[in-house]
Amino acid sequence: MNSRLARIGVMSAVLAIVLLPIYWLVSTSLKSNREITQEGTLYPHLPTLDNYIRLFTEKQFGAYLTNSLVVTFFSVAIALVAGAMGAYAIARFRLPFAMERKVGLFLLTLRIVPPVVILIPVYLLMLKLGLLDSWLGLIATYTAFNITFCVWMMESFFREIPVDLEEAAMVDGDSRFGAFRRITLPLAAPGLAATAIFAVLVTFNEFLFALALTATPRAMTMPRGTATLIGRIDTDWASMSAAGVIGALPIVFFALLVQRHLVRGLTMGAVK
Amino acid sequence: MANSGTQSRKYRLQGAGLDLALPYLMLAPGLLIVLGVLVYPLWDGLRASTKVYRYGSVVADVGMQNYIKLWSDPQFLNSLWVTVEFVALSVTFEAILGFALALFCLREFRGIRLLRTILIIPMVITPVVVAIVFRLIYASDAGMLTAISEWMGGGQVQILGSPVKAFIGLVVLDVWEWTPLMFLILLAGLQSLPHEPFEAARVDGAGNWRVFADLTFPMMRPVLAIAIVLRTIDAFGTFDQVFVLTRGGPGEATRLVSIYGYDTAFKFQQTGYAAALFVTIGLVVLALAFSAVRLLRRVDAS
Repeated sequence: MNSRLARIGVMSAVLAIVLLPIYWLVSTSLKSNREITQEGTLYPHLPTLDNYIRLFTEKQFGAYLTNSLVVTFFSVAIALVAGAMGAYAIARFRLPFAMERKVGLFLLTLRIVPPVVILIPVYLLMLKLGLLDSWLGLIATYTAFNITFCVWMMESFFREIPVDLEEAAMVDGDSRFGAFRRITLPLAAPGLAATAIFAVLVTFNEFLFALALTATPRAMTMPRGTATLIGRIDTDWASMSAAGVIGALPIVFFALLVQRHLVRGLTMGAVK
Repeated sequence: MANSGTQSRKYRLQGAGLDLALPYLMLAPGLLIVLGVLVYPLWDGLRASTKVYRYGSVVADVGMQNYIKLWSDPQFLNSLWVTVEFVALSVTFEAILGFALALFCLREFRGIRLLRTILIIPMVITPVVVAIVFRLIYASDAGMLTAISEWMGGGQVQILGSPVKAFIGLVVLDVWEWTPLMFLILLAGLQSLPHEPFEAARVDGAGNWRVFADLTFPMMRPVLAIAIVLRTIDAFGTFDQVFVLTRGGPGEATRLVSIYGYDTAFKFQQTGYAAALFVTIGLVVLALAFSAVRLLRRVDAS
């Protein structure tokens, strides 16, 4: 009986600690600025959706959302195709001088280097190419980051698939690439999905490079656009909290939908 | 795992003709993108770190001077110290809380799935939004703490205006955001431990504390080490949350190296100096990672 009480106590404490801050965000987003700063109510007494409407009519959140979706989609899709092929080559072929293993190790090392290290040169590169404040500049950057991750993750998934199946397909007349495309790739679909999910999460949430590489609603992503709402002195809490909800909603919804696949990516494969 | 049988089979699979070029063709697209967008900038960054820029163009070649200057720059040294403090405090709390929660959840009970689902939320929310959430908690006028304090008859609560409280506030944010990750890794680790030693200890009449100190903790050390290393590397590069929560202030109280580097580059326009700073951070993190890999190999071997 005692341990049951303790369980309920710990459970409710954890739930409260995780959910109360989120409750406050949502609740603030439904209040008017007057109610927020002057009345300090614990829940919205006069709930309103004005803050959300204002985000889309006055603050161009439609553009931010579009930019985020386009940039995330293309950088994850390209990285997935290029990454899966690269991972397959590393997992299956033995090249002269163990080249494939060196490439794999090299990509893993790049993955460990914190992205901030190349912030300045990437900025200078995009400046030179005229790709600042454009979809293409962001897509190129994110694709490269995603590739290092995709190769590393997909490689372990491909290794788990027995070679015999491909051999059988080739005996039946498939080419080497045909065997990969028709046999291995479908078998690796769950791994591919897990990889894509994690890449989407990281790409959609990225802020540092979006901050440096974009400046106008032409290319600003959601996190970047949200950050522009934060004033130096006066803070528009109502818009900011609504922006927080809009910014977090798609990705939280997505994460809860696919949570089974998420843990491996999040833990960087520390435990299988 | 890779015995000679599978090795020779892989050679056989390679076939002839176009198939010989296949591995290179498959590696090429990814490698080209990475070389262009990551490796070239990395090289360019190393070059930039030996230069002095003014208004975006190089005015002098100073060799290692930027790197030497770093170690006598009080602002850099302070930001490094703030970062080390931030990482040490956050990761320690996350490890302790995550471990305790994982031990607690080891026995299956009703509601555990709900708990795990809820715990995913903090780490998947956009970090910028996490920072907004905590600004809304700490704000002296609109904040949750102030609202609760006023509801109980108290006054406004000031957090982000005081150096010490703002720093603690940042640590609390990080603990809120990342304890769930610790928990998930450690829970998976606990679930993969063998049952026999624990049953034997119970038969011998060992109490909870003895079982933990003599069995659970020693057996969990490798997983705990991995979790701490992963989190440490990640926490070292924390940027988004600070940028939105405090912008490094008040004063320099929460100015992590990443924030100082960003300001140096984009606010003060000292491109070469900032490049040297970032290369230094990169080297520190790589050193951390490599020593961690060596540590893990040693644990694996024993």
